[in-house]
Order: sequence, then C-alpha cells, then structure tokens
Amino acid sequence: MTKNYIVENLKKQIGNFKDEAKAEKIGHVIEVFDGIAKISGLSDIKASEMVSFPNGETGVTLNLEEDSVGVIILGDFTKIREGDEVKATGQILSVPVSNSQIGRVLNALGNPIDGKGIIKAEKSNPIEKVAPGVITRQSVDQAVQTGIKAIDTLIPIGRGQRELIIGDRQTGKTAIAIDAILNQKGQDMICVYVSIGQKDSKLRKLQTRLEEGGAMDYTIIVSAGSSESAALSYIAPYTGVSIAEFFMDQGKDVLIIYDDLSKHAVAYREISLLLRRPPGREAFPGDVFYLHSRLLERACRRNKEYGGGSITALPIIETQSGDVSAYIPTNVISITDGQIFLETDLFYKGIRPAVNVGLSVSRVGSSAQIKAMKKVSGTLKLDLAQFRELEAFSQFGSDLDEGTKKQLERGKRAVEVLKQPQYAPVKTEDQVVTLYALTKGYMDDVAVDKLKSFEEGLIEYARRNAKTFYKEVIDTKMWTEAGEAELVKAIEDFKQSTVK
Amino acid sequence: MATISINNIASAIYESSIGKDGAELDDIMKKAVSVISQKNLLSKSKEIIIQLEKIVDKKEGTIRAKISSKIKLNEKITNEIEDFIKKRYSAKKIVLEFEIDDKLLGGIKIEVGDEIIDTTLKNKIKKLQNYLITN
Repeated sequence: MTKNYIVENLKKQIGNFKDEAKAEKIGHVIEVFDGIAKISGLSDIKASEMVSFPNGETGVTLNLEEDSVGVIILGDFTKIREGDEVKATGQILSVPVSNSQIGRVLNALGNPIDGKGIIKAEKSNPIEKVAPGVITRQSVDQAVQTGIKAIDTLIPIGRGQRELIIGDRQTGKTAIAIDAILNQKGQDMICVYVSIGQKDSKLRKLQTRLEEGGAMDYTIIVSAGSSESAALSYIAPYTGVSIAEFFMDQGKDVLIIYDDLSKHAVAYREISLLLRRPPGREAFPGDVFYLHSRLLERACRRNKEYGGGSITALPIIETQSGDVSAYIPTNVISITDGQIFLETDLFYKGIRPAVNVGLSVSRVGSSAQIKAMKKVSGTLKLDLAQFRELEAFSQFGSDLDEGTKKQLERGKRAVEVLKQPQYAPVKTEDQVVTLYALTKGYMDDVAVDKLKSFEEGLIEYARRNAKTFYKEVIDTKMWTEAGEAELVKAIEDFKQSTVK
Repeated sequence: MATISINNIASAIYESSIGKDGAELDDIMKKAVSVISQKNLLSKSKEIIIQLEKIVDKKEGTIRAKISSKIKLNEKITNEIEDFIKKRYSAKKIVLEFEIDDKLLGGIKIEVGDEIIDTTLKNKIKKLQNYLITN
C-alpha cells in the first residue's frame, strides 16, 4: 500500500510538471581563479544577475565588460573548468525568507547550516533593494532596551537607528551586541546576527550562549565563515538585511547586528582587486562607501501608513590600535547615527563595558528615551563630564576644596555604577532607581567598593517597597510626586537598615 | 595610453576593406598585418579573425547556428529548423552546423550566438529532477 502510494504520488508530481522550450542565454568560462570567473558571451545580462554553472553552483555578475562578464562564484569554484557552459537565469540574486528561519543558523545564501533540516521558503527576496524612501519613514521615538546601563542611560538607541559599535580587538564589541540580543526577550523584537569572516568556534560559542539565554527563540544567525570564499562574506550582510526586511514587512521590529563590517570591507576589497577594479585609499575600491551606505540605509522605522515595523542596525567596526581615522571607520561613523566607542585602556582598568562616554554619541536616540530615564541621565552626563575634567587636574595636588572633592567622589561612584558584568542585563525601571539614588546624592556616603552590593540590595528593596514608583515608570514612563516620595522613603529606609 | 582591443582592429579591417577588391584589397591586407605586428598582436590573430567573421556576419545578416541531435536529421526537419531560425532572428542567410551527440538521448538543441534553445530529452530530465527536488 505504501509502495503504491509513493508511486501514485510520484506520478501525480510528474503529471504536474510542465516544461516549455524557451531560449536561454549562455556563455562560456574563459578563466577561473580565486572565486572569480571570466565569462564570454552572456549578452544582455544584468548587473548582479544570477548565473548557473553546470555543476550546480551559482555565480553573480559584478563586472559587465565589452566582451566578457566578471562573475563571483558563490560556493565551490574548484570544479568549474575553462569552457564550461554558463546559463543566465534572468533573476537578480535573492535569498529564501520564511518565518521558520527564526532560531536557525543560516549561511550567506539563506540555507540552514545547523543540521536541523530544511526550511521551506515562504518567498524569496532580492538581496539588493533600494532603501525605504522619505515618505514611508517616521522619526525614531521608541527605545531599544539593551539592558546595559552605560548605553541605555547615556547613549540611548532608538528603534530604526543605526548605532556603530567601534573599538580595538578584545574590547567587548561582540559582548555588547550579545547582551543586547539577550535583553530583547519579551520585548517583541526579532534579532538577526550576521557573522562575517568570524571563526566558526566563536560562532558556535555564541550560538550556545544565545540558546542558554533562551534568545534563539527570536534570533536568526547568518554566517559567512572565514573558511568560505570572500564572495559569501560580501553578500552575507545583504542576506541578513533582506531577512530582516521580511519581518519588518510584517510590521515587526527587528534588531540586526553586523559583526563586523571591517571584515566585510576587506572581503569586498579582495573581490574588487581580483576583478581588476582600480584600488583607491588603503587599496579599497572607489565604491566602498556606497557598499556600506546602501546597506545601513536599509535600517529604518516605517510609519503606520506603510505598515510600520523597524530595523535597528548595530554595525561593528574593529579599529587597529584605536585609530578611528582609518578609511572604513570614518566612513561608517559618518553613515551611522552615532557610535559606541570602546577603549582598551578602560577595559584593562576594569571599567567594563569599556565605553568611552565622552566620545560616544547617539544622534537620534535621546528622543526615544523614556521621560523618567531622561530626567536621571541628564544630571549623570554632567556629573561624568565634570569628573573627567577634574580627574586629570586633581592628580597634581591634594589640596582640593570641599566642592571639588564632592564632585570627584560623585564621579567615582557614577563610573562604578555604570560598570556591569557580561550577560547581566538590567531592566529599565531598575536602572532608573539606581541612577535616581546616584544623582540625588544618596550614594555619596557609600564606600565605592561597597556600591555593587548596595545597588543590588537597593533594587531588591525598592521593588518591594516602592511599588507605586515602579508601576508609574512602567505604565506612564514617568513618576509622579507621590511615587517619588515613596522611592525616597524606600531609599532612606534601605540605607538605615544597611548602616546598622 | 589607450589600448587597442581586438574588436577595434577587426572593425577597422572591415571598414577599410569594404567594397574593395583586387590589388587594392591586397594592399589593405598587407597594411593590416603590419599594424597588427607593430602592436604585437600577431598572437591574437585567431581571435581577430573570429571577431572579423562576427562583424561580417552581422553586417550581412548571416546567422550561424549549431544544431545538435542524437540522430542525423532528415531534410524536412532541417528545412523547418532553417525557416524557424530565419523567422526568429530575421536573418537573410543562415549557415547551419550539425553535430551528433549520443548523450542528448533525443530531441534537438539549437545554438545561435549566445542563445540556446534546448529541447533535448537530457535537459528535460534535468529539469524534472530539479522540479521534483524543489517541490
């Protein structure tokens, strides 16, 4: 019976198959090297059109020349020979997108690589798309809660923003991105993590970490490993953003992380040089700015009339010994709406996350911050700025007046409060309570090394004894006088109880 | 320095030799060869000739088609194919080249320039395979 069923089914399938003879455009391989193929023929082919090789590999046209076409090969190029017949497909390179991609690890072509079976595509999206236009957009007014105190308070990120994470190697760039993903649990956000040219071991570690934190329920990982060809590294971020757009089109909010765009630029440089495009500064081709600007411009917040939804982009750039004036860092800094600047010195001083709050900015995020947070972070910024100024100055002498000493002490505590271990996101309400206590001077008489435990205790106490305050901040984004009084009482009570 | 492409040379030879014959044509050919050798392009002479053929074909409306099949085609089918190609590419003259290929299993394959019309059994089976895999 089962045998019959299979045969019948197969018959039906074959019956459905229709084939029409149609003219196809073909070309022949002239030369193949390093993931690049030169092909003759293929007249009337479009730029970035897919071509198929006889062994099933696909390629994408990048260079259209007088009598040949330059193609990057996506996949194994070792089996392609000179003289092979290449067919034009008439399609622009696109990737499969589907709701069931959530929780999966995909390669740069959108196919699963995690061994959890095939994904049935709902549709396929072209990887290159023009970014949403002006009339479809809306200004950023809703926050992305990263759960990192230093970022949520001082460099807030809004939904639809592009915020660069920049710093040397080993300064915790990826850690910030991972923390941000972990904190999106229950915040109605889909996360896409694009790994470009990373070690597979690092990716595996990251995936395990996200699984442990329950973050894979709303996360998609797109990976182009360092052992794969440069062509795949080049298209991976576009694949990622095409998947992100699929979710945005459903009106959802998406957070996309490109880790990292320096390697992406290097991959593109490799391809461009192999295609004999003229090199420019640092041997990057002339259109390396456009490479990143067209990618990051696709991050946006769309207004209700056009379906809503947003894509928040967190590109990562690795600098060489803190040099932000290199070509790629300056490009991406100018494209994005602000940057989070991480420093090695701070990292080794024990200030982690090693965010340099002076150099980091968020150009649009402050309008996305809730009112309560704005109230407490305003004075914090001032405290920190004054502290930095005085810190250098105070090293020369010990004779300081009372006011200066007080500011120094406040600054030390502010720096201490902004320290935060990895994988320990803090809720916005709790951040407000901590910062309220700090900026109103309630922490001034607590020893710096006791601050951490004081903070933890205070949050726990306030959660129990300042319920109105919490409710107000969560519901209306701001406290009332009654709520404030309740919080002040809670803080004072808690201090009383800890002192004795 | 601007480089001279093979295409440039071929079209120059065509332009200068059009409508000429006898001693004049011989003279032009001699000059063309000396230009090619001056530019160190003698090694590319094969490509130049191919390009020249393409240009002549294009100007004269000649279409070169390659037809592959498993068995030798009879005259009736050949004529039909010729008519079809003439109509499709609005060609004045057609040069047909035949090839017998056992691997095609059946049907015919017509190649004109970089366009291909593949109605062979081999291609159909491949398409069916693709269809069954993806659905």
